[in-house]
Amino acid sequence: MKLNTGERWDLIDRISKETVTFGAYRHTLKDAIGELTVKPMTGIPVAIAVMYGFWSVFGSFAGFFTDGFFVRLFDAYWLPWLQEVFPGQGEWLYAIMVDTGGIESGEFVLSSNCLESFGVLTSGLFVAIGVVLPAIIIFYLMLALLEDIGYMPRLAVLLDTVLHRVGLHGYAIVPTILSLGCNVPGVTATRILETKKQRFIMMTLLAIFIPCGAQIGIMQDVVPDLMGWILLYLIIGYFVFGYILNKIVPGKAPEFLIDVPPYRRPLLSNIGKKVGGRVRGFFVVAIPFVLLGCAIVGVLYQLGVIQFLGDTLAPVFVGWFGVPKETAGPLIAAFLRKDLAVAQLSAITMTPYQMITAVVLVSIYFPCVATFAMMLKEGWKELIGSLAVLAVVVFTYGGLIHLIGILLGVA
Amino acid sequence: MKILLMGHPNVGKSVFFNRLTGANVTESNYPGTTVDYTKGWMKIEGGDVEIVDVPGTFSLDPKDRAEEVAVAMLHENRDAKVISVIDASKIERGLYLAMEIIEEGYPMVIALNMRDVAEDKNIVIDADRLERILGIPVVSTVAIAGEGIKELVSRLKEAKPVNVDDIIANAANASDTTGAADAGGAA
Amino acid sequence: MKKKLSEMDYNEQGTVTGIEKDLRKRVAGMGIRVGKELRMVTKQPIKGPVDVVVDEAETSLGLDMAGKIVVEVTK
Repeated sequence: MKLNTGERWDLIDRISKETVTFGAYRHTLKDAIGELTVKPMTGIPVAIAVMYGFWSVFGSFAGFFTDGFFVRLFDAYWLPWLQEVFPGQGEWLYAIMVDTGGIESGEFVLSSNCLESFGVLTSGLFVAIGVVLPAIIIFYLMLALLEDIGYMPRLAVLLDTVLHRVGLHGYAIVPTILSLGCNVPGVTATRILETKKQRFIMMTLLAIFIPCGAQIGIMQDVVPDLMGWILLYLIIGYFVFGYILNKIVPGKAPEFLIDVPPYRRPLLSNIGKKVGGRVRGFFVVAIPFVLLGCAIVGVLYQLGVIQFLGDTLAPVFVGWFGVPKETAGPLIAAFLRKDLAVAQLSAITMTPYQMITAVVLVSIYFPCVATFAMMLKEGWKELIGSLAVLAVVVFTYGGLIHLIGILLGVA
Repeated sequence: MKILLMGHPNVGKSVFFNRLTGANVTESNYPGTTVDYTKGWMKIEGGDVEIVDVPGTFSLDPKDRAEEVAVAMLHENRDAKVISVIDASKIERGLYLAMEIIEEGYPMVIALNMRDVAEDKNIVIDADRLERILGIPVVSTVAIAGEGIKELVSRLKEAKPVNVDDIIANAANASDTTGAADAGGAA
Repeated sequence: MKKKLSEMDYNEQGTVTGIEKDLRKRVAGMGIRVGKELRMVTKQPIKGPVDVVVDEAETSLGLDMAGKIVVEVTK
């Protein structure tokens, strides 16, 4: 026999009356902290402090391992050793695997560091292990901590007001923050949003405006001074285009309804398991694509395809976006791995504002292939929709950033 | 035999799952979606039993993708036993989902998880009495500390389908036996 | 005094007396039902969500939803 909703609740009320007693309300310290972190007057400053703390721990931890250890290991030992022992210096296989080198006054010269060598075994490995690995580990560790303490729902409550304006609700902070680690689980997490419209908006915004941990890690390493501007452009884009999407995408944007669980003490073994699983999941996706991306871009350079594309697209790059035409190569690599693309950008000579524009372009232009595959799984119609939005965003926003640069006199 | 772990989101289902299964765990995508779920194996009285960590759902009336998958997984496994994981500090809403599943005829045991959180909030649950009313095993657990897991496993064999009419009758009987004090409160 | 949940003040308590039909099922899943005692914890500014405690469990819900729930305020 089946009951209807009303009958079922009646039965539960009867059962509960027989078996459950709610004691007198005790206001504990945990409750007090819980309320302080959700009330706007105190909660918002705490949220800002938490985010700032997250950011500084991320930066210093990743920097400590990358600059203090991996840069030395790769540039002082690994690169010179490979340059020495890998056969066929100057030939195409050497160029792709180890070092493309450069021509100085007619002579072939070797690169001095792993960001300029562009080889699969040098730049590829350095980016994957030296830069991205520490960034991803610390990111997921801190995220797991915030999750297991029970802070995320409170952050969601505090951010609901703004996220509701872009057709989402507070819970959208979960896929957004996850995407800051890697867009692939971020896309997966969009399933917690209720309607098609919300999932579409979320997925599109993630794919376009949220840089992944790998990309943030490498930006921190190669363009630390410009980070603030790059992130500012991305955040503004997230909200501006989210607002527009909310207006034009048909469908419902239901309101927010979530549990705010009490704080609890995180369990080390649980955090370990979570971080381990996520880091492993990330690397299964990342390593092959970094190496493959490096190889493909290397081959395309050798075949002259990149130079050809650069020349053909020069009017768009130089005229519309205001960046050097050499950025064509990294933009192609960006489809495979954005971290790799940023590393390649850093080796091109350009002004700081051009660098900001180019890195923002790398971020907003095309999702990496793994994210792309994940979005396809969600449905090809949505994917095509997202790509259409993306094309519009890249051209308008890219042009706009250039225009702002011109107006500020820095482009 | 197959066992489905079901419950609301954030009731400690995954911790439960990790406690029950060994290292042999696989994460898969539910066909045609990006919703993933985990399954693993455990030994009960010498036999291998498959355990599935079903995505969290509030009811069998789904409101998002993950919940659709949860309901579909339940309906695909008509011969499965269900471990209904309930947050003891939010027992009423947990019972709602449990009742829905019981009404569909699934054999079930209930894990009243996060007993420590309920105690923190001064919520006291008479698990024995709940067990008598529902006619299925009800075990208090703190999955994160491993408490109650063994008892739960040992009582899995007692899981059986129950008739809702019996539960209604038991609930009525229970209130008769509690005497005048409670009856007054019930009116 | 009857009030909409969206209009309640900080720390006011009361009993839920009515919920609009289309919302009943959804909020029931969070423990909010007719007859339940409820305490309003906080509201976010600029039409943000409302935080309530029912049966010692805290829930946050959008302002429009809160406008569809009527509470008999007791203190």
